[in-house]
This record gives sequence, C-alpha cells and structure tokens, in this order.
Amino acid sequence: MILVNLISLFLLYYLKKSAGPQGFPENLNRYFKYGMIAAAILIALGIAKAPPEILFQLLSFVLVGGIIYLILNTPELDYQKTLAITPLPIIGVQLLEYLIKTISPAVFDILENYLDAAGFFALIWAVTMWLNHRKQMKEIEIERIISKEQERQLRNTEEQKSQLEVLVAERTSEILKQKEELQEALNDLQSTQAQLIQQEKLASLGQLTAGIAHEIKNPLNFVNNFSELSVDFLEEIGEEMAKISESPEKQNILDLLEDVKSNLVKIRHHGSRADGIVRSMLMHSRGGTGTMDPTDLNLLIREYSNLAFHGMRANPNPINVDIQLELADNLPQVKLNAEDFSRVILNLVKNAFDAMRDKINALGSDYSAKVTIRTKDLGDQILIEVEDNGPGVPDEIRDKLLMPFFTTKKGTEGTGLGLSITHDIIKSHEGKLDIESTVGEFTRFRILLPKAKP
Amino acid sequence: MKILFVDDEKDVEALFRQKFRKEIKSGEIELAFAFSGKEALNILGEENPPKFVYVFSDINMPGMSGLELLDQIKTRFPNIQVSMISAYGDSENYDRAMNSGAKGFFTKPVDFERLKTEIAEMVKNQ
Repeated sequence: MILVNLISLFLLYYLKKSAGPQGFPENLNRYFKYGMIAAAILIALGIAKAPPEILFQLLSFVLVGGIIYLILNTPELDYQKTLAITPLPIIGVQLLEYLIKTISPAVFDILENYLDAAGFFALIWAVTMWLNHRKQMKEIEIERIISKEQERQLRNTEEQKSQLEVLVAERTSEILKQKEELQEALNDLQSTQAQLIQQEKLASLGQLTAGIAHEIKNPLNFVNNFSELSVDFLEEIGEEMAKISESPEKQNILDLLEDVKSNLVKIRHHGSRADGIVRSMLMHSRGGTGTMDPTDLNLLIREYSNLAFHGMRANPNPINVDIQLELADNLPQVKLNAEDFSRVILNLVKNAFDAMRDKINALGSDYSAKVTIRTKDLGDQILIEVEDNGPGVPDEIRDKLLMPFFTTKKGTEGTGLGLSITHDIIKSHEGKLDIESTVGEFTRFRILLPKAKP
Repeated sequence: MKILFVDDEKDVEALFRQKFRKEIKSGEIELAFAFSGKEALNILGEENPPKFVYVFSDINMPGMSGLELLDQIKTRFPNIQVSMISAYGDSENYDRAMNSGAKGFFTKPVDFERLKTEIAEMVKNQ
C-alpha cells in the first residue's frame, strides 16, 4: 500500500513543481501541501504497520482518488489530464487486491498470480503513459516558448511601428511646412512677376509720355511764339494807329484790336501753362542722377502736388479735391535727390486721392475731399505732412501698409509698391515715415528728414 | 549779312521773319530758310564763296541731322559760323555740337533776346 501513497506524493510533488511562472491559485497550493503531508503520514503509518491497517489503506485510496478527481476537475490542471490516468491501472489493481484480501483472503490466494500479472501490466501502462505525458508536456513547453517568442516579436514590431509612425508624422509635418513655405514663395514670385509686368508697362508708358511730351513741345512753342509776336505787333499797330486821325471806324478797329490782343494774351497764358505741364512730364520721366543736392522743398511740393492733381484729373474717375498747402516760410534748403523725392510727394498725394475717391463713392456729395500738405522746420529736422480727410486706415492694416506688394486696391489698380518705394526713398534720405489715422476721419503721413549738416 | 536757318518745321520761316522784321527792313540782315540739311547745302553751294556768314540749324531733322550738317559745313565752308537750335538740350548733343566746331547752342523754346544779341554782335563784327 506504500506504493499508492508514493504515487500520491509523487503526483502532488509533480503538480506543485509544474506550476508555470504565474503559479497556481492559493487554495490549490494548500491542497498540494496538505495532500503531501497526508501522504507522508500514510507512508509512515504503512511502514510502521500501525493498526487499524485496513482504515489507513482505505484512506490511502481516498487520498489518491481525491488527487485524481482534483486533476480532472480543476481548470488550471486541464493540461495535466493524461497524468491522472497514468497511475489509474496500478491503483485499480491495488484496490482490487485490497478488496479481495479484505473480503476473502482465500480467493486472494487463488488469484494472487493473476493479480501480480495485472500489477505488472499496470506498471508497464503507467511507465508508457508517463513517458507519453512527459513528451506531451515538452511539446506544450516548446509551444509555450514559441508563443512567448512570437509575442515578444509582435511587441517589438508594435514598438517599431509606433516609432515609425512618430517619424512619419514628423516628416509629414516637415513636408507640410516646406510646402507652405514653397507656396508662400510661389505667391511672392507671382506677385513679383505681376509687379514686374506692371513696372514694364509703366516704364514703356514713361517712355511714351516723354516721346509725346517732346512731340507736343514743338507745336506748343509755335503757339507761344506766334501769340507773343502778335501781341508785339498789335502794340506796333497801336503806335501806328495813333498817327491816323480819329473816326468812328478807327475807334471800332481799335476796340477790335484790343479784343484780339486780349485773346492772344490768353492764348499765350494757357500755352505757357501747357508748356509747364510738358516740362514736368519730361522731368519726371528722365532718369534720376542719384545725387543729393540742396533743394527748395516747398517748390518741389508745389510742383509735384500740382502734377499729381493734373495727372489725376486727366485720368479716368477724376475727383474734386481741395489741395491746401501750409508750407513753412523760410524753410532752409534740404539735401535731396529731387528726382526720387518728387516720387514720394507724387505717391503720397496720389494715394490720398485714391483713398478719398473711395469715400466719395461711398458718401456722395455730402463729403468734400481735402488734402493738406504741410512743411515745418523742427530745428534739427524738417517735417513734411500729407494729410487727407479720406476713409482712414484701420489699425490692423496700418503696419502692413509699407510692406511691398500689400495693397487695398482692387485687381490691377494697385501695385502694392507705391508706399513701399516711398518708404525706401525716405529711408535712403535717412528720414522716417509715420502713419497716423482715425478711421472715417483722416490719414496723415508724417515724414521727418534730418537737416543737412552745415 | 546773310543768315541761313535750317529746320524741318516750315512755320519757322514765318516766325523768324516776323521776329526779325525790323532788322530785315533796315537791311541789317538777310534771312534764308532751308527745310533739310540737303537743301541747306544746296543753298550754300549756289555761290562760291557763299555770302552766308551764319547758319542756325535744328538737330532733329529727317534725313541729314543737324550735327551731320554741321560737320559738312565745317569741312566745305570753314568760314561760316554754325549754331545749333534743339529741343533736346541734353549734354550729349551739346558736347557733340561744340566738339564739331559749333559757335553756340540754343534750346527750344528759343530765347529770342539771346538770339538777337548773338546776331547783333555778329553784325557789329562784320
């Protein structure tokens, strides 16, 4: 009977050892522990042959039966099922032997040889099953290792994947950023191109203007010269007429001659006006010499604000505007590149006209447009102000106003360069340009120029 | 004293004749007009040596330009004085004319007082 208890002990020991890394539940471990203690006690009692032998032998069968029942009915030990049937024949033969011995020792003597043989076969069965079980366990172990490895690889792959995803996201945002930068560069290039085309047009327009001005100059000279001559002749005629005796006819002739003379004076006057415009046009289209010369700023402002006005009146959509010049007396000469600086005045005045045109279109006749140009001697600086009572400049675009290509004008009306060039020219004169404005009331461009050092 | 004006604008003749009416009337000067460089050279070549003492020429003319005419006159009739009258008062034209031996350079519109002084001086020197 010691054999049955040894089997119990072995089974319990083996089960306890077979626990995986996660271990068995607490109660299962307790069963193993107490089972092993019970088996050890039974073995000890068996060796000592302590009475009542029959009871202990019965308890031995109950213990091993309980163990097999435990193996078969515990989900955690499901994979050990073959272990349960390994000792089954041995236990069966032992149980049969025990029962026969207890009930009828006489029958046992007759059957002893058969039972020994059965015990032998049960042993072979147990060994075979044991080997089989070991093999199965190894396979399970290998499977477990493989799945563990696969899991590890999967985890690695997962990790690499997430790393790659981060990299891809980084690259994508980089590319998107570059794309945006390129788009911006492209937009800049497109506006520059449009700008160049516009400038090309303006340049050829400038050449055309110069050509036209020259062509007009010759006939205009004749108009002026002949009218002047005729005035001189009329004076001579007057001298001759004095020698003729008075008569109503003579008086009539003298009256008519007086009218002719006044007409000729008018022709001469308007001819010289036209001549002034032609000269301004020629001066403007001529390339600048780039030198800074002492300049009468007030004269330049008078001349170019007038030119801007006439230019505006001659172009489509002329407006009525009052130009007020509040120029400081005794303004010292300022070192200027007159060619360049005239563009500053032209641009600022033209800008004011354009802004006020919008306001006129919005408000109609209730509004009277006015541009005021001031000069002031501030001691070490000269102040030039160009102020209009147009729509004003909202704060949010005031900073952008001087940027190249920024324009509030529609379509191809504005180049977006006028104020930018103006600003550049002022900077090249070591001056400063400020913009003051109240929306709906006024816009004031303030230019501060340093006085020439004596 | 004979003076020749060269300009492709025909009205120049009327203008100058009227402007110098008194001088012409008094016989101080005698004016002739040519409307191209070629015509000017023909007029100058009619007599040998020509009676003309002074030529005023425009620069921008179709065909022969005033500066070419200046060179021709200076080669063929070195004794005749030549002054240029031009609408283009730029330094390039001025320098070229002066280097080619022009006596004076007048820009349009012509300052008649200056022109009269110039001619009066010439008359006095005769």
